[in-house]
Amino acid sequence: MNAAWLPLTALATSLLVVVIIFALPEDARRLRTTINLTAAVVKIILVILMVRRVAAGHEDIVSFQVIGGVDFVLRSDALGVMFAGLSSLLWLCTTIYAIGYLEGSANRKRFFGFFSLCVASTIGIALADNLFTFLIFYEMLTLSTYPLVVHNGTQQALDAGRVYLRYTLSAGVVLLLGTVLLYSLTGDQSFSSEEGLGDYLNDHRGLLTLIFALLVGGLAVKTAMVPLHGWLPRAMVAPAPVSALLHAVAVVKAGAFGILRVVYDLFGIELSVELGVITALAVAASFTIIYGSLRAIAQEELKPRLAFSTVSQVSYVILGIGLFGPFGTVGALAHLLHQGLMKVTLFFCAGNYAEELGIHRIDEMDGAGKRMPLTSIAFTIGAFGMIGLPPVAGFITKWYLGVGAIQAEMYWVVAVLVASSTLNAMYFLPIVHRLWFRSGPAHGKGNWPKEQRLGRFETHSWLLLPMVFTALVSLGAGLFAGLPFSPLDWTARVANGEYLP
Amino acid sequence: MMTMLLALALLWPLVVIGWTLWSAYLAPAAQQGYFSALWLSAAWPALLLAYGGEAQWTMDAWMLGGEWALNSLSRPWLAFTALLWGLAAIHARGYFAAEQAKAQKGDQDAQRRLLRLALLWPLTLLGNVLLIIAQDVASFYLGFALMTFAAYALVVHSGTEEARLGAKAYLMLAVVGEGLIIGGFLWAAGEADTLTLQGLREGILVAEQGAWMAALLCLGFGVKAGVIGLHVWLPLAHPVAPAPASAVLSGAMIKAGLLGWISVLPLGSEQVSASLAQFGRIMLIAGLAAAFGAALYGVFQRHPKAVLAYSSISQMGMMTALVAMGLVAPDVWPLLWPGLVLFAAHHALAKGSLFLGTSISEHLPRWPLPLVWALLALPGISLSGAIGAGMISKWGVKSPLYEMHHESLIKLLSWAAVGTAALVSVALWRQWQQRHKGGSNREQWGAWLVAMAAALLTPLWLPLPAGSIEMPPLKEWLGIMWPFPVGGLFAGVGWLLTRPLKGKSLPAGDLWWLYAGMVDAALVPIRRLGHYCAKLKAVSVASAQKTEEILMGHLTRLLSTESWLRHHVSGLMMLLALVLAALIMWEGL
Repeated sequence: MNAAWLPLTALATSLLVVVIIFALPEDARRLRTTINLTAAVVKIILVILMVRRVAAGHEDIVSFQVIGGVDFVLRSDALGVMFAGLSSLLWLCTTIYAIGYLEGSANRKRFFGFFSLCVASTIGIALADNLFTFLIFYEMLTLSTYPLVVHNGTQQALDAGRVYLRYTLSAGVVLLLGTVLLYSLTGDQSFSSEEGLGDYLNDHRGLLTLIFALLVGGLAVKTAMVPLHGWLPRAMVAPAPVSALLHAVAVVKAGAFGILRVVYDLFGIELSVELGVITALAVAASFTIIYGSLRAIAQEELKPRLAFSTVSQVSYVILGIGLFGPFGTVGALAHLLHQGLMKVTLFFCAGNYAEELGIHRIDEMDGAGKRMPLTSIAFTIGAFGMIGLPPVAGFITKWYLGVGAIQAEMYWVVAVLVASSTLNAMYFLPIVHRLWFRSGPAHGKGNWPKEQRLGRFETHSWLLLPMVFTALVSLGAGLFAGLPFSPLDWTARVANGEYLP
Repeated sequence: MMTMLLALALLWPLVVIGWTLWSAYLAPAAQQGYFSALWLSAAWPALLLAYGGEAQWTMDAWMLGGEWALNSLSRPWLAFTALLWGLAAIHARGYFAAEQAKAQKGDQDAQRRLLRLALLWPLTLLGNVLLIIAQDVASFYLGFALMTFAAYALVVHSGTEEARLGAKAYLMLAVVGEGLIIGGFLWAAGEADTLTLQGLREGILVAEQGAWMAALLCLGFGVKAGVIGLHVWLPLAHPVAPAPASAVLSGAMIKAGLLGWISVLPLGSEQVSASLAQFGRIMLIAGLAAAFGAALYGVFQRHPKAVLAYSSISQMGMMTALVAMGLVAPDVWPLLWPGLVLFAAHHALAKGSLFLGTSISEHLPRWPLPLVWALLALPGISLSGAIGAGMISKWGVKSPLYEMHHESLIKLLSWAAVGTAALVSVALWRQWQQRHKGGSNREQWGAWLVAMAAALLTPLWLPLPAGSIEMPPLKEWLGIMWPFPVGGLFAGVGWLLTRPLKGKSLPAGDLWWLYAGMVDAALVPIRRLGHYCAKLKAVSVASAQKTEEILMGHLTRLLSTESWLRHHVSGLMMLLALVLAALIMWEGL
């Protein structure tokens, strides 16, 4: 039985919300909030339904022809549902957070409209079954993120937005070129097709390599791989929920997910190894990991430091792809989820510090643990996770990546992982130290840059709850990684699908 | 029943943390007691668990798959660790009484420090307990990391300049150690495709690069165990940490490094490869070097706790050498390990009570001074092997070495014991020089006395396999006891000889200062490179902008041409028409 309505409804829910939100007047705050949250919950339910169907072995497909030879296809497979699940769960958290964060500010209609459009595109990316469909949603994501990045409307924000567009649109062109080349070579190529592109290997080796380079090169911009990462730290001027969206929920993840699709489902892992591109990918990822960490150490403000940390961490996913083997794949996929959870927590924390106390620089954080204990605990959990210390989820992925590297006999990758962990410790531990072990305004020394009392607890409860939730999930995903339907369990399922025919 | 106890042992510290937090939240600062009876009990369920008997647990849902066990090794280990933690907690309540009084009077700094300590102490304990019972890599690493990072609060407690330096050294080396450990774990576990420590041992045994894996893990755990070269945090952190924290640090936590070695190295296996045996010999030499080097350097220290820290390095060096014997001479290991566990347990309690003793000599109770100093000396004398459990533990490691004819090692260990005796004498002397009146309270000296009694009677309560430890025969007594008087004599002679150098002493932390200088020197070219890169980037951005400007200039010119065309469109059209007409006419001609 093909429940074609399921992927379609999942996509339509978000798109419908976009239309409704743009139709509502600016001051219909309550109604907008209700619609937003209802849609987010409905989408989580739909994704759960999809998860159950995929677990039972059904893959639902919707498709129609656009023009001859080019189809629009949505399909729910294990990998796509995994990404959809991550983005819809984090969407709920981020929406709640954004509602609290933007309370009383202007242009909320525009913000939430494009916010929903962003997430709708992400669902489209997750469920797209061929490169054409993928490309449509990918470009939609690029365009719908721009208004969010420049939301504040300051000169700095507009500059950052321009840089963002330059990077992503030129990447889109490269990606389009790759897609057109591929279509001209092979015709419509579904992500789910069994044979892959192996048949073309003998005659078109050079062309295939070129297509791979174009596709991955285009996707690597959103993945923020060095040297294509320049837009990400610039985009830090955007409000905290947007940063969360960029770094954890949608944009960066969409790039990494795209590379996953290209390597595993379009080219197929054997062909990629055959072309020799996989090692290049691993080397590029390793370079990005180390470079991002080194740059992060040099940052003096909190959000840019987190941004460079993302540059470094997202490449763990690419590194995992580069390790040909089931462990590497599990590590890559699990890190897609784990990094999302941990990074979204960190950005929520950064937003809370900025909103409640006006903290932007790291040296202003002294003693904030006393004033905002829950936020600081969540930050500590996130930071330890990024370093890769147990019991936070980051440890699980590091373990799988490391073991995968050993089994692929790429010993230098373990050295990269260890170096990266040490560097992570070097830029996260000083922050944690400041939070808990230094005395600051909370102990009567000086003042916070701009303190507000936003709520009954340490800050507004809409800001607090999503952060506590994601912190607990990051902890739980590591501590109880062995449970069925934990991120690790699901990614192991996906990886089994890739490696065991 | 055992499962209940296990759950209790692991959850109880968390309950204690929750309770401490809750009561700190509720009680006004003036009545705030940070070290309640509940807080003191944090380690007791773990102690009970150690005496509950052997057991095994498997939990699939836990991380990568949990395997925990109480076996003949982890039971005694847990017993002495939990006992020391429990006693140190009681001592801490007395030790911090003055600070607590200050906090109750409204000193915010004291409140903050005490709350931090009261919360992170049980967390450190939890990590220590977990790593002892863990049989799978993930749980072990979790326990180890938890203990390592939570213990930062114990070291940095007083917040002075020296404390921050000590804590910094501790944390930096800890991060390096964690990195080495995870690297070794990933390598060994990846090769052997295993998740348990048992599998890891077997994997290292058969792997081609086994010696290198062992080296990584050894160095990683060696940071904790104070292996020579990585030991520099010990003499920096111990003098600044509060006495009860030093006690658990030196007694229980550095033993975690030792336990790490025993857990991951394929000790006592017949098929040890040549390279592993070679590695064992290197480890043996490193251990003996630490045993002698630390003694030689330590006797010149001023601070009694720094002297004791060097004594810990020296003792751990002896234990390193004994662990290495498991690789060099595998056949001796089955007989040796109970002696080693007894050695470790005795050292834990004896060193614990020596460290607790430093707080006694700083707050002398109103007892006759000779009695106090006799009591302070007792654990030290036992440590050098002259009396009590020290003698038995020395015999416990000596007799298997005798049986397997490793006389030269025995001789070296005896001479290392001379070093121990000298160090202990110097420590007592320094304590005497820096003594203070000022009345220690009941908890302080009570816990100290109990720890001392436990140290002297270690073999009686340690749950070792039956019959593995026996009293030395009378004729061997002299052979075990001689290092103590000799060491004392050496210390005295040394004191007389170095009297002319009055007031000069070597800095604690020896190689730390060398490392710091080296890192500083290495940073200079890196900084220069960074500046150069920044400059390069600025130049390329500028040139890119220039190129863009030029391109845009061309574009603008193009646009202006276009607008000129637009402007003159009618005239140009007319011109075109004229030209065409002329062409047609020319054609027609």
